[in-house]
Amino acid sequence: MRPWSLLLVALVALPLIVGVAGLPRHDAPDAPIHTHVGTRYLERGVAETGFKNMVTAVLLNYRGFDTFVEVVVIFTALAAVLALPRGETADPDHAPGQRAPADDATGAPEPGDDAVATAAVPATSGPRDGSDAGRAHEVVPVSPVVLFVVRILAPFLSMFALAMLFRGHITPGGGFQAAAVFGAVFIALGLVFGLGRVARLMPTGLQPWLQAAGPLAFVFVAWFGWRLTGFFLGFPIDDHTTQEGMGFVLEVAIGVGGGVILARLFLSMEA
Amino acid sequence: MSDVFDAVMLALLIATAVTVARARDLLAAVVIFSMYSLTLCLVWQHRGAPDVAMTEAAVGAGVTSVLFLITIARTTRQEKP
Repeated sequence: MRPWSLLLVALVALPLIVGVAGLPRHDAPDAPIHTHVGTRYLERGVAETGFKNMVTAVLLNYRGFDTFVEVVVIFTALAAVLALPRGETADPDHAPGQRAPADDATGAPEPGDDAVATAAVPATSGPRDGSDAGRAHEVVPVSPVVLFVVRILAPFLSMFALAMLFRGHITPGGGFQAAAVFGAVFIALGLVFGLGRVARLMPTGLQPWLQAAGPLAFVFVAWFGWRLTGFFLGFPIDDHTTQEGMGFVLEVAIGVGGGVILARLFLSMEA
Repeated sequence: MSDVFDAVMLALLIATAVTVARARDLLAAVVIFSMYSLTLCLVWQHRGAPDVAMTEAAVGAGVTSVLFLITIARTTRQEKP
């Protein structure tokens, strides 16, 4: 068995190494990426798109269709996860956090497991939290150091995500990065304070709309661009204000929608 | 200087990747894997791709590690031989 696996590794690794060795140098001016469309983006990107950040210009304008499909892929991933059967804990009607008593047996760490297990189960949330009180005896409290750090960091991380979202047009960052940080804040809070408690922060009625914010905004902006220019997802070249406005709507939708989807993926593991 | 930084980071990447693959303790593997992501994040930043670096730090080191931790909590910590 072992010689065969070594041979397999060699078969995979050899083409990879040959391929990497054949790549142009990192700063070579005549590398293919510098001789095709890249030059045009750099020379005329600002004039044509109105975005001051090249990454945003490529992402939303020149490669708008790719981003559209990316957003749909992320949304589809969440839909697929939510569609998975959940075994004996399946109870599609209950809201996240309102856990049924039957969940206790599966959610609790097994006796053989050690310290790790405690990190992933919801922490004791105090007597105010009715839904988690029933399983308090099984839950190991989160370390005060972790609790303190997450509490202190959460507002700063949220501000960082907002800054990336709203300044993404001139500085590195943008919708996808902001979404990742938003999602990380939610997950960190969920691990420390209990995922059920965090789930209640998100209004149930609004949730489907927030999850679908990315694709919906793209459809809307694409329709808007079609009315203006006659092309699906077309951007009016002469009107920078309109272009930036359309880009702003897309970035905010990607940021909010992506963040909610990431958080929901983790909440669905608990609830 | 720049090449030295790259060389050290790439060596660290290879070392962490091999360690993750060889680890029997899955918790250790997850921790080292997040270290791999942070190293890769530094490489992206050094190569002038701050957007990718931020995503790598948030998703690679943060979200993915938590996903693995929850999975370990739900299953077992030791790899079956």
